[in-house]
Amino acid sequence: MTTKHSTHKLVLAITAAIMAAGGAQAYEVPLTGINTNLPPVDFHGFASQGLLASSQYNYLADNTKTGSLEFFEAGVNASMDPFPRTHITAQGFMFDVGDIGQYKPVLDYASVTYTFNDEIGVRGGRIRRPQGIYNEIIDVDLARTSVLLPQGIYDARWRDFYADLDGGEIFGSLPLSKAGSLSYDGYAGYAHPSTSGGVGNVIKNDLPPGSSVDSLNSPFTLGGQLWWNTPLDGVRVGAAYYHAFNFQQNLTVNLPPPPFGPGPVPSSSSMNVDNTQESLEYLWRNWTFQAEYMRTWLEPGNIDDAWYANVAYRFNKWFEAGTYYTEYYSNVQQRDNSLDYQKDLALSFRFDPKPWWVLKLEGHYIRGTGLLDNNANNPNQNSGAWFMLAVKTTFSF
Amino acid sequence: MKSFSLKLGLFLAVLVASSFRALALDGAVVIANSNVAADSLSADALKDIYTAKTKYWDGGQAIIIAVVPDKTDAALQQASGMEASQFKTFWQRLAFSGRGSEPKKADDAAALVAYVAATKGAIAIVPADAALTGVKKIEIK
Repeated sequence: MTTKHSTHKLVLAITAAIMAAGGAQAYEVPLTGINTNLPPVDFHGFASQGLLASSQYNYLADNTKTGSLEFFEAGVNASMDPFPRTHITAQGFMFDVGDIGQYKPVLDYASVTYTFNDEIGVRGGRIRRPQGIYNEIIDVDLARTSVLLPQGIYDARWRDFYADLDGGEIFGSLPLSKAGSLSYDGYAGYAHPSTSGGVGNVIKNDLPPGSSVDSLNSPFTLGGQLWWNTPLDGVRVGAAYYHAFNFQQNLTVNLPPPPFGPGPVPSSSSMNVDNTQESLEYLWRNWTFQAEYMRTWLEPGNIDDAWYANVAYRFNKWFEAGTYYTEYYSNVQQRDNSLDYQKDLALSFRFDPKPWWVLKLEGHYIRGTGLLDNNANNPNQNSGAWFMLAVKTTFSF
Repeated sequence: MKSFSLKLGLFLAVLVASSFRALALDGAVVIANSNVAADSLSADALKDIYTAKTKYWDGGQAIIIAVVPDKTDAALQQASGMEASQFKTFWQRLAFSGRGSEPKKADDAAALVAYVAATKGAIAIVPADAALTGVKKIEIK
C-alpha cells in the first residue's frame, strides 16, 4: 500500500510540474539537433484524479461508502509522421480503479499506420479497439461530459480486455455521394486480459472464498465497425461486432474441505464471446445526443445486454452539463432480479476553468446491484435505490 | 397520420437540403504552407480535412492543422460542422487513441500565419484581415 501511495504522489507531482513548466501546451520536439531530417515528435498527456462516494454499497472501489480516491488515470503519448503517409505513435498509461490497475505502467498502444488514401489504410502493433462511440477513449476523461461512462457498456474496470489488442487493422472512409460517407474498421489480434484485471475480478467474484484465477489466455479476436456519416451534418449511425475465440481461464477452486469436498482443485474452462454494439450520435449546435445498445453472448454462458441514452449541452467555454440513463442486465432471461440488473440515472456538470484543466461533478441514482462485482465487500444486496457521487479533475497537455 | 408523415418528410427534406449549402467562411480565409500543391479545395474536401477523413496531401505530406482558439470559431464550425468544443473533443479523441495528432494552437493570428509559413503541410483558417506573409491562400469552391 505504501508503494501504491508513493507512486500516486509521484505521478501527481510530475503532472503538476509539467503543467506549471509548460503552460499546459502540447510539446513538439524537433529532431534536427541529432542530425536528422525527421519531422518533430508531438507529445501529449493527461492525468485524472477522482473521488467516488456511495450511499449503500462499495462500487468500483473497496471503500466508496466512506469515500475513495482510488480512481486515477494518466497517460503520455508521442507521435510523428516520419515518412510520407506514415504515422507512428505510442502511449504509456497507468490507472487505478479500486483493486484494478494499481498504478502499474502499461504500454497502452504502439502502432504504425500507413494510409494509402482516404479509402484505405492499415495499422499494426498494439492498437486501440474501435467499438462504439467511446471504447477507443474509454479512459480519456477530458473527451466527454460525464465522469463515469454508462458502466454496462464501458466498464472502467474492464479495459484490459476491451481497450486494446495486439494485431492489425484496416480502415478507411468511402464516399457515398449525396448519401454521406461510410467509415469502416476491421481488425484482428490478441486481447490481453490480466488475472488482476476486471475480467479476472469478475470470475473470481463468482468463485468460493479462497479460490484464485491462475491464468487467462490471450484470446484471438476478430471484429469491425461501420459508421455511416449521414448527409445530415452531425448525424452518424454505427454498428460494431467482435468475436473472441476460446477465451480460456485456469482457476484454483477452493471447494469445502472433506467430508464436504476435496478442498482446492484446479479447474479450467473455455468460452467464445460474441458482441454487437449499435450506436447513434447527433451533434447539433451545442447539443450532443447519443444512444447505444450492446449485447454480449458468452458461449457457454449467459447473454447480457445494456443500453443508454445521453444528452449534453455546452453552455459556454467553461461549462457543460449532461444527463444519461442506462440499464444493464447480466442475464437477459432474468430482467426482474435486482442482483442481475443495474439501472442508473446520472447528472453531470463539467467545468473547464482553463483549456488544460477540467473539473467534473456527477450524481448517480442507481437501482439494482448487477455491476458491483465484489460480493465479499457487499454482503447484503437488495433492490432498493442507492446513490453515488463522482468528482474528478483532469490536467492535460 | 398522413399529415404527420408529410411534415416529417418536409422536415427531413429541409435538413438534407441544408446540408448541401455552399461554404462561406465568416470573416476568415484558408491558408496553407507554400509547399502545398493545391491552390483550391472544395468545401467537402476542406471538411474531410477538418474531420480527419483526409490526413495527407496528394504526394503523402502529412496535413497539419493549426488553429487560433476563439478567433475563428464561426469559420471553424462552418468548415468542420462542429462547434469549437466539439472540434476540440473530436481531435482529442483521435490524439489519445493513436489515430491522429491534435491541431497545433497559436496565440494569435500573426503567430498562426508564421507557424503555417514555417511548417510543411500546414493548413489553417485565419481571420480575413490577417497579414498573409509567406503562406498561400487557398480558395474554397
